[in-house]
Amino acid sequence: MIGSNALARRLVAIAGIAGLIFLIVPLVIVIPMSFSSARALTFPPPGLSLRWYEAFFGDARWMSAMATSASVAFVSSLLALLLGGLAAYGLRRAPVRGEGVIEANFVAPLIVPTIIVAVALYLGFAKIGLLGTYVGLVLAHTVLSVPLVIMVLTVAIRSFDFRIEQVAWSLGASRAYTIVKVVLPNLAPNVFAAWIFAFISSFDEVIVTNFIAGTWDTVPKRMFNELILEINPTITAVATLLIAFTMLALAAVAVLLQRTGKLRPTML
Amino acid sequence: MPSRTAVGFIAPLLLLMIVVFDAPILYMLALGFWSKQGGFTTEHYGNLLEATVYLKVLASTLRISLIATIANVLIGYPLAYWMRSLSPRAQLVAIALVITPFWVSILVRTYAWIVVLGNGGIVNSALINLGLIDEPVRFLYNELGVTIGMANVLLPFLVLPLFAAMLRIDNRVLQAAASLGAPARTIFWKVFFPLTIPALSAGALLVFILSLGFYVTPAILGGNRVSMVSNLLDKLINEIPRWEQASAISTLLLIVALAIFAAYRHFDRRVQS
Repeated sequence: MIGSNALARRLVAIAGIAGLIFLIVPLVIVIPMSFSSARALTFPPPGLSLRWYEAFFGDARWMSAMATSASVAFVSSLLALLLGGLAAYGLRRAPVRGEGVIEANFVAPLIVPTIIVAVALYLGFAKIGLLGTYVGLVLAHTVLSVPLVIMVLTVAIRSFDFRIEQVAWSLGASRAYTIVKVVLPNLAPNVFAAWIFAFISSFDEVIVTNFIAGTWDTVPKRMFNELILEINPTITAVATLLIAFTMLALAAVAVLLQRTGKLRPTML
Repeated sequence: MPSRTAVGFIAPLLLLMIVVFDAPILYMLALGFWSKQGGFTTEHYGNLLEATVYLKVLASTLRISLIATIANVLIGYPLAYWMRSLSPRAQLVAIALVITPFWVSILVRTYAWIVVLGNGGIVNSALINLGLIDEPVRFLYNELGVTIGMANVLLPFLVLPLFAAMLRIDNRVLQAAASLGAPARTIFWKVFFPLTIPALSAGALLVFILSLGFYVTPAILGGNRVSMVSNLLDKLINEIPRWEQASAISTLLLIVALAIFAAYRHFDRRVQS
């Protein structure tokens, strides 16, 4: 007979493992389905094939959506990184009036429900003629990525010893030279992490894009609209590619941060 | 660095945020009080109380969000508690398994449930093969499917901070209770659980705020039969253009979300201190 404590521990372990399975089962199931030879979504797949990958890469609309997604994610993440990096540096290196309000404003897009951002940007962009434009899409994605950049970089800049910069200045280096040659090399892993997070956040964005993109098609927007209409197994291939892309990007961040001893267990 | 230089560093981003975030939200707030004939009106807010369709959607949004939050607590608390008992190496693996889905596109995670829970999906085939059912269970295109999908997408938001808070609980406190003769059950309910209440409350509130604005999951797993506020907003903007009405509903949702966020901050500060 097992004691009630051992029984309780076993129940907790079962509940914990069940919770983990619940969390990852969708990702684990979708991957083999993408190699299915059948049109129906039956599991396990009756046979293996690459037909859904062929369907994806052979479809000009998917390829053009891919190009739009990549270019919007690239431009908007770099813009968020540049503006967010400068702002995070300015906020941490000198007292500024209204600092708390300004910082709250920078992370607000993460707190305000995205659907509200979507409605507000739709109305605002309609007013100033940015609705359905590439510029509007890039600016909206930039704003949504800014909180991630600010959060990652303010922590990094705060932990970077200010005296190192002061040494560089006292040796006659200009402020710009100090940032490029002293601050950036030291914060490179964090900057890289912030960039990857901003890129993924833009590449996956669907709600705001669906409202404001007009005729521009991104991969998530196209995926969303296909899912509403019909279930096409090509989506399993797209989903698998997105999972692979995300895991590679996260692994790159984890490896880099671990090498430089900057990995924190609960880094989001 | 002098403050004036710092302002120079901050100004470009601030300008972007004002133009592409603050101004559109303020414009939306104003539009909710704007009459089609021009001038100030509160009719769009009056409509919310009069038209039963809006009240129905608000009620079902609150109900689904509440159920998804409770499901999250019931699944997430044991998971975080179990993770705390693992070895450091196993903990890293478990954290990686919780964080990875967090970063994978919400579309992928929602879509995967169609594969898992559909009529020919893995759950239904397993149940039929085991002889437990004759007809596939309809998991999808109803509130059940939406709730399962939402609970899955939101789980990392609860588990990660809760697990971090549990790690901070000093084992010696639990040992002290044990050395005084308290049985394991009493230690858990009288010592451990009360210490995790602030983190649990903060996590649950965060999950609830995020639930209120869910758009993708109800649209895909609800199959037009389950409507939440976000899907209503989509209709009012993209299908039957009633922008002022959409603005009023968004304003209401924004106020609710910010109020719950204030409560979240209250609990989160207690966790940090």
